[in-house]
Amino acid sequence: MIVEGGSPPRRTSPLIVLVHTVTFRQARQVIGIALPIGAAIGFDGGTTAVVLLAVAVTLASLAFAAVSWWRFTYRDEPAAVVVTRGLLARSTRTVPRDRIRGVEVETPLLHRLLGLVRVRIDAAAGSATGQEEEVVLDGVRRTEGERLRAGLLVRRPAGPADDVPPGAGPAERPVEEPPAEEVLARFDRRWLLYAPLVGSYLAVPVAALGALMRLVDELPGRFRPEFDGPDVAGPAAVAGAVVVALALLAVGAVVGAAVVNWGFRLVRRGGSLVADRGLLTRRHTELEVDRIRGVTVTAGLGMRWVRAARVSALVTGLGAAQRRGQLLPLGPQDLAEELAGRLVEDPGPLRRHPPAARRRRLLRAVAPGLVVAGAGAVATSLSAGWWPLLVTGGALAALGVPVGLGRYAALGHAAGPRSFAVRSGWLVRERAVLQRRAVVGWQVRQSPFQRRAGVATVVACVGAGSGGYAAVDVAADDVVPFTRAASGSWADAIR
Amino acid sequence: MTAPSSAPVRPPAWSLPRSAIWLWATQGLLGTLFWGAVLAAALLFVPTDDAPLSALPWAGPAALGLYAVVSIVLQPVIRHRVHRWEVTGEAVYALTGWLTRTWTLVPIARIQTVDVTRGVLQQLYGLASVAVLTASSRGTVQVPHLPQGVAEQVAADLARRAEQVRDEAT
Repeated sequence: MIVEGGSPPRRTSPLIVLVHTVTFRQARQVIGIALPIGAAIGFDGGTTAVVLLAVAVTLASLAFAAVSWWRFTYRDEPAAVVVTRGLLARSTRTVPRDRIRGVEVETPLLHRLLGLVRVRIDAAAGSATGQEEEVVLDGVRRTEGERLRAGLLVRRPAGPADDVPPGAGPAERPVEEPPAEEVLARFDRRWLLYAPLVGSYLAVPVAALGALMRLVDELPGRFRPEFDGPDVAGPAAVAGAVVVALALLAVGAVVGAAVVNWGFRLVRRGGSLVADRGLLTRRHTELEVDRIRGVTVTAGLGMRWVRAARVSALVTGLGAAQRRGQLLPLGPQDLAEELAGRLVEDPGPLRRHPPAARRRRLLRAVAPGLVVAGAGAVATSLSAGWWPLLVTGGALAALGVPVGLGRYAALGHAAGPRSFAVRSGWLVRERAVLQRRAVVGWQVRQSPFQRRAGVATVVACVGAGSGGYAAVDVAADDVVPFTRAASGSWADAIR
Repeated sequence: MTAPSSAPVRPPAWSLPRSAIWLWATQGLLGTLFWGAVLAAALLFVPTDDAPLSALPWAGPAALGLYAVVSIVLQPVIRHRVHRWEVTGEAVYALTGWLTRTWTLVPIARIQTVDVTRGVLQQLYGLASVAVLTASSRGTVQVPHLPQGVAEQVAADLARRAEQVRDEAT
């Protein structure tokens, strides 16, 4: 089918069939059905049966992969990207170009060996419903991926696209040499040392271990390696085991961080921000600067000890914003702040919240411990065996004090001439810096307790990121000045 | 207004019609009937001889009575006194809640859609709810229980004005 001004339908590279056969990309869906059937027929018959089964599964996978490759075509027209697929029920999805929010080029290991890439096209379909849509072109050649990436993002300022002769589809457009390129951040290997203090990277070795255990569990008995549990004798051996386990955990976290973030580079190229990262799977993400409404600088408890932080962009209509919007996955705090400041003007130092806010944070942190201790006291008076409950409650209440103070220390808000900031959180402290134009509404909340304490929570409603960023327990008198300073004259309505 | 001095922002100008009280009271009544049925079933079928459950025959009805007073009498009256709304030249503004109060302000330029819904009970009293949606999941102004004609007029008016002044809306 030829559309005027468009290009003929294209296919992904046939090599992708190989990748999908090996990874069981499509066949995975039927394994759930196939396994019980196999079990019903019976697996007995020894090694030959296992081999035959493996061959059959591989052939089935090959067939699935080949069919889905054969029935998948895409076209990039001047106004839209059209993807057609489906064996019997054909589905056609049309994504208008002006709806494309971001283009990501991924290169998993197998793809890289065959010179292929996976292109994810992120398009917001009516942000009012909050649903995001994504088009995945899996297995195009690397040059084709580059061409798509360069051609798909509509650039507001008239770019080099203007000198393409009319009638020439985007297919003929050369991959233009990007105008000015400015490196905003570049990975430093020393940053990997932060990884053992970051929760999400610590989870990597634990998850890997879990997967390994499950695999071992599912192996038939005679393929399972046999080893006895270590003979643990004495506290010294236990302590040694703990130290070794912690060391392994730390190493695992560093390796995990290295795999994900290797060669990270953030570049500003014309109107876009381009981030590259990854050791095995290479990820290439492109964001439009024009759609950035703010940034968040987050740091967990461990990261704050070593003054590390991460930076994410809040982009309107971007799906999977946690992953896509990441501008600095892990780095020193100074760099994080500098990077955030280059994208959204720093509104100045944060204002502390009133002492009533500290009382409230403390009370809320201590209260659960006090309740447990109270229950423990009552129970102990009835029968002496309940004293551990009393002690636990007391300890929880005592631990609540630093938690409450920490939570209060995190609170803050500030309004500058073109931007404003709010900060909160204890385990993970998040500072959101937002542009004035980002605010699509204000929400002020006051519980009966807050009313008595003379404070209120102000939420800036934003059409990006998590949708709302709260300044918790602001003094009631500060609410109107803050909302007025942080948004337009329309906020006068609540004065 | 019940909270004079420590309210962080001014209250919106307009209150809801009195029939909203009756609607809330009806909802409270339905809730009470539901829990009453649950309680009756529990008293009939659960043996209450054991130590922790022996309080059920008197504590259950007492709790139900308290719930009935709060949900049929107190809560509707307080809600009616708290709930307010207003459409100014530049923004939509509403106050909702009964214990915890929530003021929501959305500029007309950032409105994406305006919804009018009429529930089964609302139709009984000739009421309708208006929801003003923006690009943010948090920035939704809810005005419950307006007279149907008013709700439709407000929605049409807001949609028309949003069309005229819309900037980028995100």
